[in-house]
Amino acid sequence: MNILVSIKQVPDTTNIRINPETGTLVREGVPSIVNPYDVHALALASLLKRLYGAHITVITMGPPQAEEALKEAVEFGADRVILLSDRKFAGADTLATSYTLAEAIKYLAQEAPFDLFLFGKQAIDGDTAQVGPGVARRLGVPLITYAVKLEIIDQEKKEVIVHRKTASGVEVLKVTLPVLITCDKEIADPPFSPLPELIKAAQTKPEIFNAQRPIPYKREKLGLKGSPTRVHRVYTPQLKSAGDILFVSEIGVSEAVEKIIAVLKDRGIL
Amino acid sequence: MVRLNYDVIVVGGGPAGMAAAITCARAGLDTILLERGRFAGAKNLFGGVVYTASVLSLVPDLFSASRLPFERPVTEEGWWILSQDGVVKITHTNATLRESPPRAFTAFRAKFDAWLAKQAQKAGVLVVPKVRVIDLLIKDNFVCGVQTDRTASWDDHRPAQVKAPVVILAEGVNRILSIKAGLVPRDFSPKEVALSVKEVLQLPKGELESRFGLQKDTGLAVELLGEASLGLPGTGFLYTNTSCLSLGVGLFLIDYATHNIKPYALLEHLKRHPVLAPLLAEAETLEYGAHLIPEWGFFGLAKLCGNGVLAVGDAVGLVNPLFREGTNLAIYSGILAGKAAIYAHKKGNFGYHTLRLYEEALKDSYIYQDLRYFRKLKTFLQQNKSFFQTYPYLLNEVLHLYLTAQGRAKQEVFKEICQLIRKQRGVTGLLGDFVRAMKFLKGW
Ligand SMILES: Cc1cc2nc3c(=O)[nH]c(=O)nc-3n(C[C@H](O)[C@H](O)[C@H](O)COP(=O)(O)OP(=O)(O)OC[C@H]3O[C@@H](n4cnc5c(N)ncnc54)[C@H](O)[C@@H]3O)c2cc1C
Repeated sequence: MNILVSIKQVPDTTNIRINPETGTLVREGVPSIVNPYDVHALALASLLKRLYGAHITVITMGPPQAEEALKEAVEFGADRVILLSDRKFAGADTLATSYTLAEAIKYLAQEAPFDLFLFGKQAIDGDTAQVGPGVARRLGVPLITYAVKLEIIDQEKKEVIVHRKTASGVEVLKVTLPVLITCDKEIADPPFSPLPELIKAAQTKPEIFNAQRPIPYKREKLGLKGSPTRVHRVYTPQLKSAGDILFVSEIGVSEAVEKIIAVLKDRGIL
Repeated sequence: MVRLNYDVIVVGGGPAGMAAAITCARAGLDTILLERGRFAGAKNLFGGVVYTASVLSLVPDLFSASRLPFERPVTEEGWWILSQDGVVKITHTNATLRESPPRAFTAFRAKFDAWLAKQAQKAGVLVVPKVRVIDLLIKDNFVCGVQTDRTASWDDHRPAQVKAPVVILAEGVNRILSIKAGLVPRDFSPKEVALSVKEVLQLPKGELESRFGLQKDTGLAVELLGEASLGLPGTGFLYTNTSCLSLGVGLFLIDYATHNIKPYALLEHLKRHPVLAPLLAEAETLEYGAHLIPEWGFFGLAKLCGNGVLAVGDAVGLVNPLFREGTNLAIYSGILAGKAAIYAHKKGNFGYHTLRLYEEALKDSYIYQDLRYFRKLKTFLQQNKSFFQTYPYLLNEVLHLYLTAQGRAKQEVFKEICQLIRKQRGVTGLLGDFVRAMKFLKGW
């Protein structure tokens, strides 16, 4: 099986702060991690490799430091890791990001087509959940989002069953590869990697793709230029208190209504 | 295939381990460094003032680098001696201290250690984080490798082993492996270690500079005495970073237990001190941490090496709490141990008698002289409680009386001061303390 995993390096949000004056994220000194959902996508790839044998390619787009994320991928058993890094990529929204990733994947697929494309369900620094679907659309492969379980039923016929979480329950889908899946945490647990993989990771120097080589990207579709989204403002939402709870069963309808009206008047809403 | 045989294994990616590994790799030795943290520095904590000279001895082109792992230069140093509600400040600055490059800096371990790791990688060290060494491999009385908490492969679940004729233990204060190597007879006792708690506090923009009278390129590092440690043997510290403040306090481990003090409560008490509280107003806590400091000193000094093994830094207790030395001693000892490992490889002999070069070099250095000189410090501090219990408060009271003497007959004031001193400590007590302090300082 030929697996591609796409990951992102994100600031560790347990430590993240917003600069109160500029409204921007304070990323300095905040350690970076692999986006937690992507970790589970990597874990699934790792598990499939151990169970069925697979070749794992991992890509990420980011600044040179994102190399660390790819090293972590090697700990999971990634065979080839590629960093898409160029100033021209910077400032990309989900549209430009999916374009950049999809082109890289198409390029890599020329060597050997991929059977499975794995993404995290969303990145915790933006929570858009758009990049996986955007890439699926560009690659023209079926898309399954919010996957929580994957079973291989027939390796020969390349048939798999994927469970996906929806608001109303779990959908069980049968699909023939190739398919692009965005993974939730339940999909697989990260393994405790053996020492040789850690040593390999420490020695890894990822291949670097820039805006010209080996893929001549269309400049206008990259980075800030290729991104129609504009960030208006970033702010920490005010913590709202849970509010008072009135039980009609205890105080009766009319008293409840009176109380609500009083509060609304009090706030100048009525 | 991944190789599991090296010339040197270094256990621990603190300053001591990094210094040892860099020294070895620069001499062409195939060096692997194993660190249990997610990255070097991830699990570490210190005050932290770093003395530049030690870093320069490792990275001579330190100041040509574009990004230094430092916060602020230390241009003003000294003590704030706290009473319950007051302070006597003794700090010092002069032109030399404000010269560039500065002789000391404040830093964060998460950045400083990570930066050292980068230097190590540049030197050719294979730095492997997320690996804990759980045991030593010993053959024919020689340490010849380590056993890790990681498995040998995906299918082989036995602990992975790494081999090398020299293992350098830079594991810090929890010297489990040094004990296993037979360098240290036993674990430390609660009298021999201090436990420090520290918070990193962010002040509103510009407030750090205005509250502490700082410019962009100046910084303050003070030790807090007296009420900071509730009159017990111990100190607090307040160091300024680029835009935040490191505040901490520590006691001997035993005193937490004897006096039923919770470490965080100790720090909270300090934060609420009437002198400190306004300086910390509106501060937001960015980080909270605690760490042990080895204070067993000379008498608890381990054997520094054995067959195929060397121990450096905190693992052997190279700390001088009076002078805020720890990181620099870790670096120096790492370099010396690295040199001994190089020498052993040249000779092709890894026995104690070859590696002893390290022990001898350390004994020739000021580190060892200091350890000898201060060998009774711990006992002195624990036995002469008045230096923490009485004098800080007395000093505050005396100065207060003196400075508020206006409108009174001065002779009366001086009399009151003398009475106060007599009451608090007595002439014999005072003389006794003086003699004991002199005795201690003269190394008797
Ligand atoms: C609160 C506090 C304030 C201090 N302030 C100062 C100061 O202002 N100036 C100063 O110079 N010094 C200061 N020190 C002392 C200084 O931090 C230490 O002396 C110094 O860090 C010692 O370095 P080291 O490399 O020997 O040990 P450490 O820095 O403790 O490094 C040990 C490393 O080994 C790793 N490790 C341990 N066991 C294993 C294992 N089995 N397998 C793999 N990895 C392992 C740890 O994760 C760690 O990274 C302070 C210490 C404390 C606690």
